[in-house]
Amino acid sequence: MSKTIHFAQPTDRKRWYWLSLLAVIMLWPWFSGPFVLHLAVLTCLNILIVNGLAIVGRSGQLSFGHAAFVAVGAYVSVLLSSALGWNIFLSGLAGMVLAALFAAILGWVILRLKGVYFVLVTFSFGELMRLALLDWSELTGGANGIANIKPAEILGFVFDTRARFYGLALVAAILSIWLMKKLFASPLGQSIDAVADNPALAESTGLSVHRIQLVAFVMGCAMAALGGVLQARYIGFISPESFNPGLSVAFIIMLVIGGRKSVWGPLVGALVLTPLPELFRGAVQTQHIFYGAALILILRFMPGGLISLSERLKRNKGARA
Amino acid sequence: MDWSLLITQATINGLIVGLLYLLMAVGFTLVFGIMRMVNFAHGEFYMLGAFGAYFFTTAMNLPFLAAVGLTFAGSIIFGGLLEWLILKPFRRDELNGMIVTIGMAMILQNLALIVFGPDPLSMPAVAEGTLQIGSIVIPNSRVYVVAFAGFVLAILYAFLKYSRPGRALRAVVEDFEIASIQGIRARIYYPLGFGLGVGLASVAGALMAPLFSVSPFVGATPLLKAFIVVVLGGLGSIPGAAFAGLVLGLIESYASLFFSSSTADMVIFAVVMVMLVMRPKGLLGKGEI
Repeated sequence: MSKTIHFAQPTDRKRWYWLSLLAVIMLWPWFSGPFVLHLAVLTCLNILIVNGLAIVGRSGQLSFGHAAFVAVGAYVSVLLSSALGWNIFLSGLAGMVLAALFAAILGWVILRLKGVYFVLVTFSFGELMRLALLDWSELTGGANGIANIKPAEILGFVFDTRARFYGLALVAAILSIWLMKKLFASPLGQSIDAVADNPALAESTGLSVHRIQLVAFVMGCAMAALGGVLQARYIGFISPESFNPGLSVAFIIMLVIGGRKSVWGPLVGALVLTPLPELFRGAVQTQHIFYGAALILILRFMPGGLISLSERLKRNKGARA
Repeated sequence: MDWSLLITQATINGLIVGLLYLLMAVGFTLVFGIMRMVNFAHGEFYMLGAFGAYFFTTAMNLPFLAAVGLTFAGSIIFGGLLEWLILKPFRRDELNGMIVTIGMAMILQNLALIVFGPDPLSMPAVAEGTLQIGSIVIPNSRVYVVAFAGFVLAILYAFLKYSRPGRALRAVVEDFEIASIQGIRARIYYPLGFGLGVGLASVAGALMAPLFSVSPFVGATPLLKAFIVVVLGGLGSIPGAAFAGLVLGLIESYASLFFSSSTADMVIFAVVMVMLVMRPKGLLGKGEI
C-alpha cells in the first residue's frame, strides 16, 4: 500500500541551505510580535501531538480519540500540581504514564480488532472521556473547566511569557521530530512500518502485529499527553470542550494533509494548518469548507500528503538529469 | 400524576425518539454493511433533510407529505451522486473513505451555515390538536410523524425483502464477494446503497423537523445516536439496528426519569465500548465481525 520515503542524503551545501532556512523559520517568531509567537507555540504543540498520532497511524491504525489522551495529560498534570504541589516534571510524567496506561489497557483489548473497529472504539473512548470529565465535576470542575493554571516552572525558571514558552515548545517539537527520525530508522520503527504494510507477512516473519501496534499506540498516546501537559500550562485554562472529538478530527486532518508516511509529514501539516485559521478570519465556514475539500483532494490525488510534493520534485529532477 | 401515567407517557416519547434513531441507524448500518465504513457525514444528511422539509413546506407551500417525499427522492439521488463522484476511488479503502466522509461532513455543514445562517428555525406543526387515549395525551403532530415514519419503514422493508434490487442490496451487505460471483454488479449497488442510506437519514431529518428546530448543527446528536444504535444492534445488521433503535429510545426516555443525562450518556458509551470488544455481532447476534 505504501512505500517508505527515503530521504536522499543531500550534499553538504544543500544541507546547510536547508538547516539555515529552518533556523530562520524557527527564530523568526521571537522577532515578530506576540501574535506570531502565539501561533508558533500552537504550531509546535501541534507538531508534538500529531507526531504521536503519526506513530499510531504508521502502525496501520487510525485513532479517532487522540484528543482524549491529550486531555488525560493536561488534566492529570494540572490536578496533581494544584492539589499536591507537584512540579511540572513529576506531574507531567504522571500524566504521560497514566495516558500510556490507558492506551495500554485499551489497546491490549481492542488492537485485536480490525481497522474499522479500532476507529469505532477510539471514537467512543474520546466521547466517553469528554463525558467523564464533564460528569466528575468535584475533581475536574465540570463544564466550567479549570482556569488560572500556573505557568510551567523548570528549575526556578518560569515560562510565563509567550517568548519564554515558545522556547520550551520549540525544544519539545524538535525533540519529538528527532525521536521520530530515530524511531523510524531503528528496527522497532521498521517493524511498525512493516506491520502496517502487510500484517500477514509481518506476522509470518515472526513479528507480533498485536504487540507492535500496542507499542506504537502507547508511545503515540504518551506523546499526545505530553502535548496536553504543555498546552494546559500555556493556555492556562482547560475544559472538557477543549478536547472534544472535533479536536481529534483536526489532528487527523493535519496528519493526512501533511503526510502520513513521512517523518516530516506532521511537521508540514501542523505548520500549514495551525496558522491557516488566521487567513480566514471572520470566515470560519469558508475555512472549514476549504479543510474538507483539501482533505478529499489530498486523499484522492496525493495520498502521501503535502510532503510527497518534495518527493515528486526530486524524482522529476532525477528523471531529467 | 401517578406512576403508571408517567411511565406510559415516557414509553410513548421513547418510541417516538426510538423511531428517529431507528431511521437514522438503518441508513447508517446499510452504508456500513455495503461499504464497510462509518459514514461520518450521516448526521449532515439528517440536517439537510430537515432543511429540505422546511424549504418545501414554507417556501413552496407544499403539503408535508409531499415535502418529505421530495426530500427523500432528492437525497437518494444526491447521495448516489456523491458516492459516484467522490467516494468511488475509496471503495476498497475504508480508512481513507472514512476520512473522506469527514471532509464531506465539514463541507456540507459549513455550506448550510453560509446558506441558512446559524439561527435555529422552527417549522409549523404538521397538525393541530391532540389525541387522547384514556388519560394519555399525545399531540397530533407526533402521531402524524410516527405514522409517516412507520410508512417509510414499511416501504423500505418491502423494498429490501421483495424487490429484486432490494434483495441484491441485501446480498451485497451480507457478502460482497459472493454477491459479485452471483452476478450482482457492485457498480450499481454502491451508489444505490449509499443513496438509500442518505435518503433514510434525510427522511429522519424531514420527519423530525416539525418536532424539533432546524439548524445547521442539528445533525451531531442523531449521528452519535445512530452510532450507538448500530454498535448495539451489530454492525451491518438491519434488524439489529431497528431493534436497538427502539430499545435505546425507550431506555433513554425511562432513564431521564431517574438519572441526570450526562451520567446516562456515559454509561451508554461505556456499554458501547464493551459491546464492540466483547460482542461485535450486536444484541441480536446478526451483525458481522
